[in-house]
Amino acid sequence: MSGWSRRPALRWLVPGIVVALVVGGGAAANAIVASDEPDLPPRTAAELLADLHTVQVGALSGTVVQTADLGLPLPETGHPGDADLGGLWSGSNTLRVWYDGPDRARVALLGTLSQSDIIRNGRDLWIWNSSKQQASHRVLPEGFARDPGTPPVHPSMSPQEAADAALAAVDQTTEVRADGAVRVAGRDAYQLVISPRDESSLVESVRLAIDAEHGLPLRVQVFGGGPDPAFEVRFTQIGFERPDPEQFRFNPPPGTEVTEEDLWPSLPFELKPGAGAERPTVVGEGWTSVLVAELPDGLAPDGDGELAGLLAALPRVSGDWGSGRVVSGSLFSVLLTDDGRVLLGAVTPERLTEVAGE
Amino acid sequence: MSAAEVSAADLAVAARPPRPARAPSTRFLRSELRLIFGRRRNQAGLGVLAAVPLVIAVAVRIANPEPGTGEGPDFFSSITGNGFFVALAALTVSLPLFLPLAVATIAGDSIAGEANAGTLRYLLTVPVHRTRALLVKFAAIVTFAVTATLLVAGVGLLAGLALFGGGPVTLLSGVQVGFGDGLLRLLAVCGYLAIGLCALGALGLFVSTLTEQPIGATIAVVILTVTSFVLDSIPQLSWLHPYLLTHWWMSFGDLLREPVFLPDLRLGLLSAGAYAVVFWTAAWARFAGRDITS
Repeated sequence: MSGWSRRPALRWLVPGIVVALVVGGGAAANAIVASDEPDLPPRTAAELLADLHTVQVGALSGTVVQTADLGLPLPETGHPGDADLGGLWSGSNTLRVWYDGPDRARVALLGTLSQSDIIRNGRDLWIWNSSKQQASHRVLPEGFARDPGTPPVHPSMSPQEAADAALAAVDQTTEVRADGAVRVAGRDAYQLVISPRDESSLVESVRLAIDAEHGLPLRVQVFGGGPDPAFEVRFTQIGFERPDPEQFRFNPPPGTEVTEEDLWPSLPFELKPGAGAERPTVVGEGWTSVLVAELPDGLAPDGDGELAGLLAALPRVSGDWGSGRVVSGSLFSVLLTDDGRVLLGAVTPERLTEVAGE
Repeated sequence: MSAAEVSAADLAVAARPPRPARAPSTRFLRSELRLIFGRRRNQAGLGVLAAVPLVIAVAVRIANPEPGTGEGPDFFSSITGNGFFVALAALTVSLPLFLPLAVATIAGDSIAGEANAGTLRYLLTVPVHRTRALLVKFAAIVTFAVTATLLVAGVGLLAGLALFGGGPVTLLSGVQVGFGDGLLRLLAVCGYLAIGLCALGALGLFVSTLTEQPIGATIAVVILTVTSFVLDSIPQLSWLHPYLLTHWWMSFGDLLREPVFLPDLRLGLLSAGAYAVVFWTAAWARFAGRDITS
């Protein structure tokens, strides 16, 4: 104490040390997590790819954080913090997931003081919105989503055969390689990097962190040329215990507006079905496929209205295919032609104009 | 001058011959609390806080909107179904300004008020160690923060139950829990918010040691709070958000999910604890070393 009274300025050391401890402690904890590269037996890219096809997860529950920076000059929808299922393309979102076999799953999107849930229990599909106090119910057809298509890998194959088959299925279009092991959500994981061979794809690479024990992707990062992922989904916490069955049982609470809906939600605008317009078509395949559709009414760049004004501010492009306006983000490009078509794809604007000319 | 009375009481204690070491007396804290809760202006402040849930409950009762229209701020649309939500709505509405303002008033007044009234030197003439004085001042701020939060929730609960009745509580997850479970969660919400306000109180205590103008200290704390809220709403500054004093306050909603979502609450408590320790020690460094001139 006498030291304090002789040199009062020394007292400031105490809060200084506390600040250093708080800041340093936090930084050190992060650094330890980041540098903690797990020691895993090596696995080739082909083996990892086969693991993905034979993933066996009976049940899980966890927390997923999704971030997107698509670089598209689009207006914000809703206000931030609102748990709206339409807002997944921008900013950061936290989801809680519960999964118990293909028939029972629940995803909850957490907002500030609000929550949206999608709950599947057998053939019942519920969508719940806490801020609107609305629940909608859909009945899935018998055997819904039971057929995942024919995987290139069959359980009867040997591991080596399976790996070769998985690689052969994608090798034409995609380069696949393994990268160093990482820890995601406190679990050891292998990294698999896949990148499209086609130069006109905006996707630089997709990086997967695959759980070493269960073969489940714990993190998916999509890079679009920048140093940070343009899109990322990762578990921040995961457990493989069977969730409480109560999680999948949804009874609309009293006071809830309950609607029965058709299986497929109607789009906010009509894509002009039957009015002589073509249905949306896909040109090309794989990484560089381009979706081509007719522009809905009121969205044409020369129309009026708020959206048209926004579109008019976009850069103009033209060529022997015609002319239009283009939006280009870090992962997607959209071309709105003056003759009323919209082309969308994870490709360069040049590729879109090529498709427009076909 | 009530502050002087305390000093006189403590002087009387000091006049007695020194006694052997004993358990720390609560006399100083009790007199401090008497000061805080006895002052007219503080009572008026608490009255304003209590009025928030009353206004909400009466307004919703009169307007009588259709339940579940999703109109109005958070929790408002649930009120007509269950009076329980008046408490939550009142806490949500009070959180950005009224509650921080109340705590900032008390915290800003704690040291600067005594300095301004000229009673600080009397307080420190009696054998009250400056560290103890700061501890007691902070304990009084904590008591006030807890009281203020419970007052808003309690009045809201009573008004809500009187006007709309109670019943099972619908959580954000769309699950209903019993009223008792709901009350426990409300209590946890109050505790969580009070801890956040205590961190603000520590900041106020520090600012209060810097000046002799209590109103200046209060305004400074309110400005810092509002600035924190404003910065927190700018998406371009998202890297800064986790470090803001107020960022985790709204995470109290995670207590209303089933099961309770802990990660953000944990970070909120850590953040509040860090702010409280940093600013209390800063207040100590400033206060214990400074010359008392008034």
